[in-house]
Amino acid sequence: MKKALLLMFCVVFFSSILVGCVSSESAGSSSESTNSGEKSSDKIKIAVVPKLVGIPYFNASEVGAKRAGEELGVEVIYTGPTQGDAAQQVRVIEDLISQQVDVIAVAPNDSAALTPVLKKAKEAGIHVMDWDTPADPELVEISVSQIDNEAYGRHLAQILVEQMGTDSGDFAILTGGMSAANLNLWIDWAMKEVEENYPNLNLVTEKVPTNEKQQEAYQKTLDLLRAYPDLKGIMAFSTVAPLGAAQAIEERGLEGEVALVGTALPTDSLPFLENGSLDVATLWDPEKLGYLTVALAKELVEGKMPTDGQDVPGVGVIEVRGKTVIMGPPTDFTAENAAEYNF
Amino acid sequence: MKNLSKESILGLFLVGLFVFMSLFAPGFLASSNLKNMMFQLPEFSILALAMMVVILTAGIDLSLTFVASLSGVVIAIALSSGYSIPMALLAGLLVALACGLLNGVFVAKIGVSPILVTLGTMILFEGINLSITKGHSISGFPSAYNLIGNGYFFGLVPVSLVIMIVLIIVTTVLLNKTKWGRSVYMVGSNPIATLFSGINTSRALMWVYLFSSLMAFVASVIMTARYNSAKVDMGSAYLLQCVAAAVLGGTQIQGGYGKVIGTVYAVCIFQILSSGLNLLGVHRSIVDVMIGVILIAVLIINYVSSQLEKRKSIKEQAKSVA
Amino acid sequence: MKAILKSKEMSIAAILILLCIILSYLSPAFFTFSNLTDVLKANAVLGILAIGMTLVIITGGIDVSVAAVTSAVAVITGHLMIYLPDSFLSLLVIFLVAPLCGIVFGLINGYLVAKVEIPAIVVTLGMMSIISGAILYLTNGVYVNSRNFPSIFIDFANAKILGISILVYIFFAVAALTWYVMKNTVIGRSVFAIGGNSKSAIRVGIDFKKVQMFVFAYMGFLAGIAAIVQTAYIKAIDPNGLIGFELIVIAAVVIGGANILGGRGTVFGTILGVILLGVMQNGLILAHIDTYWQKVVVGSIILLAVSYDHIQYKRAQSQLSNIKVEA
Repeated sequence: MKKALLLMFCVVFFSSILVGCVSSESAGSSSESTNSGEKSSDKIKIAVVPKLVGIPYFNASEVGAKRAGEELGVEVIYTGPTQGDAAQQVRVIEDLISQQVDVIAVAPNDSAALTPVLKKAKEAGIHVMDWDTPADPELVEISVSQIDNEAYGRHLAQILVEQMGTDSGDFAILTGGMSAANLNLWIDWAMKEVEENYPNLNLVTEKVPTNEKQQEAYQKTLDLLRAYPDLKGIMAFSTVAPLGAAQAIEERGLEGEVALVGTALPTDSLPFLENGSLDVATLWDPEKLGYLTVALAKELVEGKMPTDGQDVPGVGVIEVRGKTVIMGPPTDFTAENAAEYNF
Repeated sequence: MKNLSKESILGLFLVGLFVFMSLFAPGFLASSNLKNMMFQLPEFSILALAMMVVILTAGIDLSLTFVASLSGVVIAIALSSGYSIPMALLAGLLVALACGLLNGVFVAKIGVSPILVTLGTMILFEGINLSITKGHSISGFPSAYNLIGNGYFFGLVPVSLVIMIVLIIVTTVLLNKTKWGRSVYMVGSNPIATLFSGINTSRALMWVYLFSSLMAFVASVIMTARYNSAKVDMGSAYLLQCVAAAVLGGTQIQGGYGKVIGTVYAVCIFQILSSGLNLLGVHRSIVDVMIGVILIAVLIINYVSSQLEKRKSIKEQAKSVA
Repeated sequence: MKAILKSKEMSIAAILILLCIILSYLSPAFFTFSNLTDVLKANAVLGILAIGMTLVIITGGIDVSVAAVTSAVAVITGHLMIYLPDSFLSLLVIFLVAPLCGIVFGLINGYLVAKVEIPAIVVTLGMMSIISGAILYLTNGVYVNSRNFPSIFIDFANAKILGISILVYIFFAVAALTWYVMKNTVIGRSVFAIGGNSKSAIRVGIDFKKVQMFVFAYMGFLAGIAAIVQTAYIKAIDPNGLIGFELIVIAAVVIGGANILGGRGTVFGTILGVILLGVMQNGLILAHIDTYWQKVVVGSIILLAVSYDHIQYKRAQSQLSNIKVEA
């Protein structure tokens, strides 16, 4: 065992000597970037990277991004990790840099984790933007935001109060995951709205994680309803949590007593909106978001920056604040209008 | 050609895959892609090696990636609140070793089966991490620290790759040349006989879990430096991939057999497959399918070749008898 | 041997009872009929899969592809359901198709393990990767909601007998069936025999390969049933809904006293393990534990439970050897 320790020690020692020779630049990198300047095909290549592939929300934005690609005559590569893991997302972006695309638009799982790789992309002459969730603001050229995060968080708190019919009483929050940055942001803004304008509302426990799974949201809502019998309202963040929560409320027959608002897609939540267990779902059209991202990416390559009040065909009028582009206000889906939407 | 070991078959497969991707995947041999692969390999292969050593003792370490993310978070907190790099690394190391110690005590001293212990500690470490960070990511490191993940030695070889190669050599030496290494294999193949032959099995096991947590620490340093942040689910996707890499590399899940080089080959195969298929424009979920297919295919090849060998040796025996 | 088995289950039962006492003290809502039946309903899928996993683990195997297989069957039957008319026959079709699909997946696993002699973890790890990748590729993660199901299925999902959901009865029926198969059929008894002592079991003429094929096929069969229960539980198909579930299934089995290296395990112990996990999840919110600390609590309870159980087991064994010495 002593031998092993000694060996370890030697390794540590030698490596500490070698640390002196570390540099941040690869010797070959300067000559290489000139090579990558020459693109083999003249069609603009736009890579759109979601947080993960294979969930309804990002599928819908894929449809929009691909449609934009066809209509605007650009090549759209829509690829992302199969799990919402920052490390896997970095790998995907590195591979895209190898493919020498023109633009990388990413929805970061963890914005800080992407900073080094986005720097690398910029050095390779690739335009960098973010969409859905902001990345490092110093690196991106355009930041496409579906929504004004502050307004959205506050809006959720407001519609909850509206549905509860009172601004006092107990409420709870369900979230997709404790580490989901944009969900946390909305929850923080919603809580701020509650603190400032509805001081009599009482959050019974910290936000409850549901692991992005409907069955967990269902079980935990049942438990919440039992643990806090005076519960009057629930805010559910993530696209499946509202569905599970609605199922629990329906099973208990509490449709009239417990108000539920959440961030769900209209097609998924339609049955729950119709039976009254889910009062309001509010979201934007993710397909439009995908479309807008690709449209702005194409203009970026052509050297055009978006302007405030610009009317993007197929999307509508956008709001621009500095680098940030805001697509527009969210749509509230209720039993009356949800059937009109197809996403 | 006669006595092809499991590892050499895997090595040949690796070469074949490399040639295939070079021929068919556009830009596979471009320096930017090769560089990417060099940066992507270390964290995964270090974790896979840690997993392999644990599997050698007929155990498994499900808490591995969570040890890494917990120690990463501690390093990140220390760095972002202004401590020097060595101090932060020391803090991360201590946390990782404490996690390893906890696993070790339950497995080696109390004798609970490793899968249960590490399942419990996996949830425990994740919980501790969550209650420290509240799920937020922690960032803001000095740029000198980021060089560990993104820097080059002499402008050529990534630092993290050098660390990986050193660790591969160290692990090989530790497993093959030291008393501890031999006892690891023995514990894996027959713990009771090993105990009776005068080896302190519980101490050997203890060191196995400390070793794996040490490797998790190194991986976490590389990951935090490369991704410039630490978060509760950092690297969690590597967990099952590590087990897959170890078993693809020929490590027996019942313990007692496994070679470092096999695991390294397996990690390289996964890497080439994932980069190459991506360059070919294959959907990412198909990459998962391919990894599964290869896992099973390589073992079928092993089986067929061992069957052929058996038949051959029976024939030869028959001949010599005749 | 029996005494040890007994003590092993007794210690889990003791922990479970202790936990229940603490929880009913902390929350008046815990020890109520509706809460306890909810716990059972919520863990029916876990329970069904864990029972199948128990047999696999007794024979020294493991199946990490269960969650993927269950999702695959749920996706297949769910999409089939969209085209089925609203009649009782549709329900019958579902109950035929789902277990059959599951058995097919199980037989593939079983063939590779038993005939090609690849270690079970490698086969099932590979299958998990293949199946979940394929599901993601084919469905693109598309969620299907209850509007597309025939209403007979919704009625079935909501059915209650004596105030208890039908899903709980399915769980208990699976447990009873498995217990019967293990006790009263030749193949079931050979699983036990191999569990007891594989070498002597093979010597007395039990076909180990056949038993392996059987346990994996049975696991697949139960995964098929679990798929129906899962679809009925959430009244939707979520292709991503069971990611990572295999670890919880294995946890329930080993907490229930099965030895992960094979040779030991009972259906009853597994059910206790499932209920322990379920009660723990349920109790965390009822006991008003801060969500950030919930995982710390769960991890600690698992560690405590398994080491307590192991110390019990060790003590029992040392007593056993003492008796031998005396005799």
